Amino acid sequence: MTKGAADLRREPLKYRLRAFFGKPANLILLFFLITLTVLSLMPMITMLTNMFTVHAGTEKKMLRQGVGSWTLNHFQMLFADREWSQSNFWTPFLNSLIVAAGSGLLGILIGGAVAWFITRSDLKCKKFISAVFVFPYMMPAWTLALFWINMFQNSRVGGGVVGMVESFFGVCMPEWFVYGLFPMIVVIGLHYSPFAYLLIGGILKNMDATLEESATILKASRWTIIRRVTVPIVMPAILSTFLLIFSSGFASYTVPVFLGSATRTFTLSTKMRALIQAGYEGQGYIMAFFSILLGTAILGLNQYFTGKRKSFTTVTGKSGQVSLVKLRGAGGVISALLILFTLFFAIMPLVSFALESVIMQPGNYSFSNMTLNFWIGTEDSAFETGMPNGILMNGTMWMGLLRQVGLALTVAMIVGTCGMLVGYACVRRRGSWLARAVENLAFFPYLMPAMAFGTIYLAVATSASFKWMYGSFFLLGLVASVKFLPFASRSGVNSMMQIAPEIEEAATIFGVPWVTRMRRILFPIQKSAIMSGYLLPVINVMREVALFTLLVPYPRYLLTTMLFSFNETGYAQYGSAVTLLIIVMIIAINSLVNKLTGASFDKGIGG
Amino acid sequence: MKRLLSLMLVLCMTMGLAAMASADGVADALAAAAAMSNEELYEKAKEEMAAGAKLNFYSTTSFAEKAASNFMAAYPELADKVVYAEIDDGETYSKLTNQIGSGVKDSPDMALVQNGPDLKVNLLDDGLSLNYFPDALKDVVPEKYQDPTVATFINSLMIYNNKEGSVGVKNVWQLVEPEWAGKVFFKDPTNETVNLNFLIMLTSPEWTEKMAAAYEAYYGKAWESGEFASASYEWIDGFLKNVNYTFTSASKIATGIASGAAGNMGIFVFSKLRKVDENDRPNLTVLQFENDVDCFSGFMYNVYATVCNDTDCPYTCALFINYLLSEEGFAGEKSWNSSQGYYSPNTTIAKPEGLEDQAYVYWDGKLVFEDLDYIDGLGADYNEVYRFINVRVSK
Repeated sequence: MTKGAADLRREPLKYRLRAFFGKPANLILLFFLITLTVLSLMPMITMLTNMFTVHAGTEKKMLRQGVGSWTLNHFQMLFADREWSQSNFWTPFLNSLIVAAGSGLLGILIGGAVAWFITRSDLKCKKFISAVFVFPYMMPAWTLALFWINMFQNSRVGGGVVGMVESFFGVCMPEWFVYGLFPMIVVIGLHYSPFAYLLIGGILKNMDATLEESATILKASRWTIIRRVTVPIVMPAILSTFLLIFSSGFASYTVPVFLGSATRTFTLSTKMRALIQAGYEGQGYIMAFFSILLGTAILGLNQYFTGKRKSFTTVTGKSGQVSLVKLRGAGGVISALLILFTLFFAIMPLVSFALESVIMQPGNYSFSNMTLNFWIGTEDSAFETGMPNGILMNGTMWMGLLRQVGLALTVAMIVGTCGMLVGYACVRRRGSWLARAVENLAFFPYLMPAMAFGTIYLAVATSASFKWMYGSFFLLGLVASVKFLPFASRSGVNSMMQIAPEIEEAATIFGVPWVTRMRRILFPIQKSAIMSGYLLPVINVMREVALFTLLVPYPRYLLTTMLFSFNETGYAQYGSAVTLLIIVMIIAINSLVNKLTGASFDKGIGG
Repeated sequence: MKRLLSLMLVLCMTMGLAAMASADGVADALAAAAAMSNEELYEKAKEEMAAGAKLNFYSTTSFAEKAASNFMAAYPELADKVVYAEIDDGETYSKLTNQIGSGVKDSPDMALVQNGPDLKVNLLDDGLSLNYFPDALKDVVPEKYQDPTVATFINSLMIYNNKEGSVGVKNVWQLVEPEWAGKVFFKDPTNETVNLNFLIMLTSPEWTEKMAAAYEAYYGKAWESGEFASASYEWIDGFLKNVNYTFTSASKIATGIASGAAGNMGIFVFSKLRKVDENDRPNLTVLQFENDVDCFSGFMYNVYATVCNDTDCPYTCALFINYLLSEEGFAGEKSWNSSQGYYSPNTTIAKPEGLEDQAYVYWDGKLVFEDLDYIDGLGADYNEVYRFINVRVSK
């Protein structure tokens, strides 16, 4: 081969490389490809190896093998030991499936019905119902679980502690209603029903009404229209919503912990943590892996259904006129019932937590039994209550709050910036394998339940090379940033898709540097979407428990884990006070997001 | 590349040696501290604090927070230098084993932990934490409580709601009868290791024998082997079937039983009675104070003090442990001794008058005492016992 020929072959590569690295979008994609591979896939590999190794503590004691040595014992115990397997894997797995399916169905039923009434009927007070109905979705699901216990615990179940319903109305609900699978399904279903409302309502609102009108002209009954026209059109959205709620219900950790502990109703995620806590880490990692596999399968199925929807959409154009179903006399009753229902689950939790945080004797709601000591008490009451003073006067609480806010802001900065950059680069290099790889990698953490995701990082942070990360603020920031990146990157991609490349190209021709282009052109155009990308992770971090519970150095490190610890260890009043504090902060942040971005959860549905 | 590899190797070796040196340094310091007076230790502690150290300590007992604040009041130049963090029992050792040596800011310097067998296997045997016991107290603390150092004993007792009179329990086998189904409250032993250890202790030869004798006394016939390996296993099976797990903590059990249904009974930490509202307090009766129970009315476990091998304030840790073992530290205002259910290993410290409690020695023979050596010696059999309990708790 002559020297000239070799040069010819090398030259284009050099130019190709120069051209490749000359585009900021390529550099960004390359950076994220490497970073996300390390942060998403590497922990997975660590977790996989942890499924086959002996850990310190119980495993070491039980197996009499060195830490880190290979073993198949975790699999053997979890799947081959009939009794152990039944109580530690199969029963919790079945419970998870029941909770997931039940809450999915309930969420769709409630959310779908409300969506139909709001978009397709002449219901009264639509704006109010729509705004208040999405409230439970803003609140962390565990607040509803605690609210449920506060309301329905009674002298005939559990330990016989009187709740609000018995105290005010003298009604005692049976055990299956207060603890176990039923309340888990109700609470998770209610929490996600606004989600179903938003998705189904969006479709109903934008659906071509001429189809229903044609059916009306052809004298089809209202029920037939719903059954044969409306439902089939929204079916892909219903299936997709069901799968998303199913996936969230399956992965839920906090709700089953609060509502299942009393009756020993374990789900896969609560059992996973219990096993890890008891020192059976290897089996915990196997369960985490199993959850991830199932999460991936469910979301794959969802992609399939949402993909199919595209082929469904054969009708183009849209009728501007939507004829609303006249509810006549029933309208007032249905409106009143919906208002009562939404108020009960939106406002009552706040009332309940406020009350529970001031009463001394459980179940006694008289004024003489109330005190503000749990909030602002300054006397040295550690002896009686276990805390030196009220939560507002307590340094540990303020430190927890400070860390949580600091973590939220740090994560928001990282996630917001990364999401925007990923969005920009993926859109600019759309169609390339690099863009596809980065988009998928950024979405990957969404497939993993929060508890399982925390678990895989626990595996990394407890390995010899990364022990310096264990229990650190850095680790929490890292985990939360990767976990919440999918929302921001999807939002980044969507917002950047709306900007025509010509605008940036014009600036490039004038020699405007990339940073200036971003700062002066792209940011201002998509200001509100980018702002959402920064602010939404703040809400996510402020209410997260499952992701952090295994990773904090001690339970009272963050406000949410502190609350969890209070409730586990019996500081009920402090727990209620902190819960109320968290809800109020989340509502405040959410209002701020709405104000700054002009967006709201129910925008465009409730009118 | 070779140079890079060599550099990394040297770096790793240096770090390893530094860690070993640090652990050795702490061990030497603790050995020296054992012979020092409190005044000498205070001087050394001040030097450590002046060098930027802080004593971060983890504890499973909430009273330790009060002990820390009393300690800082007693040694004013250490004010704000002792930082307490409460830690859940179940995750104590996973947190400690991972944080010791991690170099993470504010990682613990010492800990007050329960579950001696796990302390031994996870920390002491691997050198992750070190034992410290002052020479000056060797004569007043029994030798078996010096290594590992016991900071306090805690008991969990059978306590019931007396709103409808006595429950009349005189034999532990009564608790496996159907009428107790859902009425006996006990914290999930797979989450609370001291509860687990109590059940494991029942399988020891000594308690198996006592359980068989109690069985014979109650049923009027000798226990016969069949489905279960021993009388203790049969009792554990029946007991766990009856247990109600509504309450996830001892505090919740205490307040829940006090304000809950008549006749409910719990086996929970005696000192948690302080959490019960004063209006509900008369609703509770400690079974042992009503009558003797054949063959136990609760259990006793130890809380140990242990020093992390990477601490930068070993002398301050030593001073704090001295304080906890002293009259001033253990029996000071609103300290452990002022509550029911805490007992010092220091034999010179008695329970105060007027407290509804008895001295530590009173409980010997009435409660199941946790035996570190027995549980640690179980080896592979540990898994069998744990498995037996786990599958019954999860059902």
